[in-house]
Amino acid sequence: MTIEKTPEVVKINKWDGAAAKNAIDDAIREVFTGELKCKESFALIDGRLCLCALAVGVALYALLWDYLYPFPQSKLVLIICVLSYFFLMSILTMYTTFMEKGIFVVARETVGNNNRVWEASSYVKKHDDKYNLVLVMRDLNKVREASVNKSFAYFIDANGTIVQTLIVNEITKLYNSISSEKKDK
Amino acid sequence: MLDALFDDVKRMNKRQFIYQLLSFGMIVSSALMIWKGLMVLTGSESPIVVVLSGSMEPAFHRGDLLFLTNYPDEPVRVGEIVVFKVEGRDIPIVHRVLKLHEKNNGTVKFLTKGDNNSVDDRGLYAQGQLWLTKKDVVGRTRGFLPYVGMVTIYMNEYPKFKFAVLGCLAIYVLVHRE
Repeated sequence: MTIEKTPEVVKINKWDGAAAKNAIDDAIREVFTGELKCKESFALIDGRLCLCALAVGVALYALLWDYLYPFPQSKLVLIICVLSYFFLMSILTMYTTFMEKGIFVVARETVGNNNRVWEASSYVKKHDDKYNLVLVMRDLNKVREASVNKSFAYFIDANGTIVQTLIVNEITKLYNSISSEKKDK
Repeated sequence: MLDALFDDVKRMNKRQFIYQLLSFGMIVSSALMIWKGLMVLTGSESPIVVVLSGSMEPAFHRGDLLFLTNYPDEPVRVGEIVVFKVEGRDIPIVHRVLKLHEKNNGTVKFLTKGDNNSVDDRGLYAQGQLWLTKKDVVGRTRGFLPYVGMVTIYMNEYPKFKFAVLGCLAIYVLVHRE
């Protein structure tokens, strides 16, 4: 038995750049896991969550230790905790700037005996209405890239509702152009 | 309106929600670790204190922010302003050292007084205590920033206001993405 899933209507404040970007990012993720039948890979985001959890854990440990052994006794443990906390924070900053680079979805698919990885990243300049999407495809020997730069108004209607069909079209177009490019060579 | 506020949260997937909680945790932990770091650097269990009374006027006024250090090899001297704790009182006191006796082995006992008070502090000390010793000291004043501490004083006088402000900030951070 199949149940027709009604697409969820996402309504946002389209004047809030961050909210609009997040909503479109989410919609694009759904296209990859839904229409394009890719499998989402969470390694990248899980790595960031681990770093964050570790940093919070270190801070909690310092708090607990300082409570159990009041200050002058806890000095050594506090020094270690403080140093490792700020070390973890700098690692986290480097992780988000050099590893994640705004990538919000990593999706895998298998075509024939070829494993492909799709990475989608996006950015919006401050006080700008242009949504920049960069799609990167990696397989065994090639890396291909395509990008699109469109106003939020293209993806979001006057009421602030995300137009999922337009996003599906746009992503499918990019997906096909990257995939077919491969066949030409 | 309130619905729209939580819309962002409702749409989050599991990982986004966990990240939201963790980033809130990191804001709190950063503040905590800076405080603990200052404790280690200054050697004082409370490196920043706020003056709560006018007993040290005209040197310090209510609401001044004081920076303290408490290095074990720095001797306490007459005329210095120290922050000390008294048994049975929750809040440390900021007063000047008036008299000091030092033994050859380095142990000291001293008496303090507020510049603006007419008598010394023996009445403030614990029952039967005549002198303060090094273990009572929280730190020695090294610098001050006038009036900044008034915010903390108001917050402590109106706890409801404090919880309202902190609650709003927490909700904002938890609900707002990035």
